[in-house]
Amino acid sequence: MPKRKTKTAFIGIKLTAQEAALLTKLQDGLNSTTKTQVLLKGLDLMDKVYLSTSVSSNVALTEKEEMSSPIATNLELARLEYEARQYSIRVQQAKSKTKEVMRQVAQELSKTDEIVDKHKGDKSKLIQVLLELQRENKWLSEESLKWVSQKLDVPLTQIYHMATFYKIFSLVPKGRHSIMVCTGTSCEVRGTSHLLDRVIKTLKIRPGETSSDMRFSLGTVKCLGCCALGPVMVIDGKYYSRPSVKEIEQITATLD
Amino acid sequence: MTRLQSANDLESLKKEILAKKDPNKLCVTICSQTGCQAVLSEEVFRAFSEQIDRNGLRGKVDLRRTGCHGFCGRGPIVTVFPQNICYLGVKPDDVAEIISTTLVKNKVVSRLLYDAGDGRKIAQEDEIPFYKYQSRFVFANNRVIDAKNIDDYIAVGGYRALATVLSEMMPEQVIDEVKKASLRGRGGAGFPTGIKWETARNASGKIKYVIVNAEEGDPGAFMDRILLEGNPHGVLEGLIIGAYAIGAHQGFVYVRQEYPLAVENLMVALKQARKDGLLGRNILGSGFDFDVEVHCGAGAFVEGESSALMTSIEGRVGEPRPKYIRTAVSGIWERPSNLNNVKTWATVPFIINNGAGWFTSIGTSGSKGTMLFSLAGKVKNTGLIEVPMGMTLREIVFNIGGGTIDDKRLKAVQTGGPLGGVLPERLLDTPVDFDELSRLGSMMGSSGMIVMDEDNCMVNIARYFLSFLIDESCGKCVPCREGVFRMLEILNRICTGTGKLDDIKLLEEISGMVSGFSLCGLGAAAPNSVLSTLKYFRDEYEAHIEEKRCPAGVCKGALIS
Repeated sequence: MPKRKTKTAFIGIKLTAQEAALLTKLQDGLNSTTKTQVLLKGLDLMDKVYLSTSVSSNVALTEKEEMSSPIATNLELARLEYEARQYSIRVQQAKSKTKEVMRQVAQELSKTDEIVDKHKGDKSKLIQVLLELQRENKWLSEESLKWVSQKLDVPLTQIYHMATFYKIFSLVPKGRHSIMVCTGTSCEVRGTSHLLDRVIKTLKIRPGETSSDMRFSLGTVKCLGCCALGPVMVIDGKYYSRPSVKEIEQITATLD
Repeated sequence: MTRLQSANDLESLKKEILAKKDPNKLCVTICSQTGCQAVLSEEVFRAFSEQIDRNGLRGKVDLRRTGCHGFCGRGPIVTVFPQNICYLGVKPDDVAEIISTTLVKNKVVSRLLYDAGDGRKIAQEDEIPFYKYQSRFVFANNRVIDAKNIDDYIAVGGYRALATVLSEMMPEQVIDEVKKASLRGRGGAGFPTGIKWETARNASGKIKYVIVNAEEGDPGAFMDRILLEGNPHGVLEGLIIGAYAIGAHQGFVYVRQEYPLAVENLMVALKQARKDGLLGRNILGSGFDFDVEVHCGAGAFVEGESSALMTSIEGRVGEPRPKYIRTAVSGIWERPSNLNNVKTWATVPFIINNGAGWFTSIGTSGSKGTMLFSLAGKVKNTGLIEVPMGMTLREIVFNIGGGTIDDKRLKAVQTGGPLGGVLPERLLDTPVDFDELSRLGSMMGSSGMIVMDEDNCMVNIARYFLSFLIDESCGKCVPCREGVFRMLEILNRICTGTGKLDDIKLLEEISGMVSGFSLCGLGAAAPNSVLSTLKYFRDEYEAHIEEKRCPAGVCKGALIS
C-alpha cells in the first residue's frame, strides 16, 4: 500500500499537525480513501457525542435543581424544565437538518471530486470543471467552489471572477424546470418582448428569478438558432413557437 | 477497420463504401439538426422507422438522418431518393401517406411539396426558389451525409484534399494555394487567410497551434453550428490541412456549450477520424502528427475575439488583450496560434480540390468565393444560405428569402450582428462583400442577416444592440464599458420620450470615443448600430425627440404611437 500523503487541509479548513495525523489515521482505519466517507463517518461520530452530552446535561440540570429546591421555586423549575426540553428538541431538529445538509454537501463535493479528477487536476481546465459542475447541480455553491479552489490550487477570487463573468454560471440554486425565452435579434424583431411579458404574467417571476416553490426558473437567451420559429420559448429543452398565454398556462400546469 | 496508410488506401476505402451503396435503392433522409428537431423531426424519424417495419419494407428502404438543408422555415424536411422528392413541413401523421404513396406506389404526395404560389408544385429541391438562386459548395454536403458516419463523408470525396496535400504538396505550396485563392477570414473581419497562415508558419517556436473559432455568440447567426453539427469532418479536414501548412501538431475547437449537438457530433467525428488514421500519429502514412482537443465556451460574446478565446483556452477568464503582437505570432501560452472561423476552415478543402483558379472565378474583385448567411427576421423563408460574394441584398431577400412576412414594406436589412449596422431599403442593390458592407457603415461580421419591416423601430433596434453589448462587454477597458453604457442611457431616454435636442450630437461624439479608443474589436465596432441608424434613419430619432412620437409604434412610455 502506498504511503498516504499527510493532508494539510480538509474541506477548506487548515489542519494542525496533530489533526492531520488524526485524519490520516482515520482514513487508513476506515479503509476508505475519499474525503466524503471520512466526512460522513465524522458526522456519525459527532452525532453520537452530541446525543450523549445533551442527555447527560439534562440529567445534571434536574439533579442540581432538585437538590436545592424550595417549594416556592417549583413553578420556576417547571418553566425551566419546559424550556430545557424545548431547547433540546430544537437542538435535535437543528442537528438532523444539519446532518441532512451536510450529507448533501458531502455528496456534492464527492461529485466535484470526480469532475476535477476527470480533468486530472489540470488548472487550465477550470472552465470545463465549472461547466460540468453547473450541469450537474444546476448552480455553483460556495462549498463546491471552495473545494475546486483547493483541489486545483487556484485562488477563490479567480474562480469567482470566472463564475461571474460567464452567463451560464449561476451562484443561486435554480428551479426544477428551466424556462428560456429567446431574445435574439430575429425573435426581437418578431416581437419577443410581448412573449416575455406573457411568460412573466403567467409565472409571476422575472428573468433571472426562481419561483419560491422552486418549480420554475425564468431566463432569457440570445438566440437558439431556430429563428424560423421565433419568437421562441424553450422549456426543459422542448421548443415552443409563439405560444399564447393559454398555451403557456397549459404547459406549465403539467409540470410539477 | 485498420488505419489508412496512404492516399491510395483512402481511395480504395471510398470505392468500397460506394460499392456497398445501391444508387437505385429507396432512401428516406430526414433533416435532424436543432432547427428541425425543434419542430419534431425526431418524432418523424421514429414514425418512419416503425412504419417501414410494419409495411415489411425493412431492407428495401434505407432510413437516414442528415444535416441541415438550410430551409429551416419549412422543416422538418424529408427527402426521398433516388427520385429526389423533397417534402416540407412533414409531421408524424404524414408519414403513413408518404410510405403508402411514394415508397410503395412511386407517386408523389403533392400536398407536402413546395407550393410556388401560382398553382405549381415543386418536387425537386434544386428547383425551389429558395435553393435555385444559391451556389452551394461548403454547405452542399450537409444534406446528403449523416454527420455521425465518417463513411458518408468519405463517399462524397471527403478527406481527398487532405490526402492530396499530405502526399503531393509541401506546406509552402498549400499556403501559396490559399494565398492565390485570396481566401479571406469568414469570421467577419475578412483578414487574408493565407497571410495569417504564413505569419504563423514563419513565427519562431517549435510548438504551434491551430484553432477553430466556433464561439458563435451572435444572436441570429447559426452557420457555424450548422456546419459543425451537419458536417464536422469537413471542418476537421480543413483544420488538418491548415495544421500541416503551418506546422502545428495540436489543434483546438472552441465551441459554445449552448450547442450540445455540435459538441456531440464533433466528438464522434474526432473518434472516427482517429480510428481511420486521419488524426493522431502518422496521418495517412505521411509522418505528420496532429490531434485535436475540444473546449467548451461558457457563454460570452467577447470570447469570439481571438485573444480572448485563447486566454480562455489557457483556463483564464476570456478577456481580450491589446494585439500589438498578433496571435499568429504569440497566442496560446505565448506560442504561435492560428485561429480561423469554422466557415474558413470548411472552405479550405474545396480550394485544394478545385484549385485557387476555380475559387477566384466566384465572387467580386476583393472578396472571392461564396459566403454563408443566416437569413432571418421578418422574411418568409428563414434559413441558412450560401451565395456567391457580390450577390445583391435585394436578390437575397426577395429571390431567396421570398420577401417579407405578410408582404409588408421592407424597411432595412441588418447585417453583421450586434457589431454591424443597418442598410436601408434604397441600398438593397448593394453587392454583398466585405468591402462594400464596411464602406456603407455595416460589416460582414458574423454574416447574420436580419430583415426588418415597417413595424420595426430603428431607434429601438439600436437600443437593443447596445443593451446586448453592455451585457457582453468584458469591462476591461473604459471606453467600451462606460461609453456604451452612456450611449444606452441616452437611447433609453429617447425611447421613453425624454430625449433632449442635443442627444444626437452627444451620441455621435461618444461613438467616436468608443470606436477610437477601445481595446478590442467589440468596442471598436460597438457604435455601428447607432451610427448606421443615425445615418439612414435620422428622422426616426428626431420624431422620438422632437415630436415625442415613435413612427413604428414600438417604443412605449411617454410616446404617442
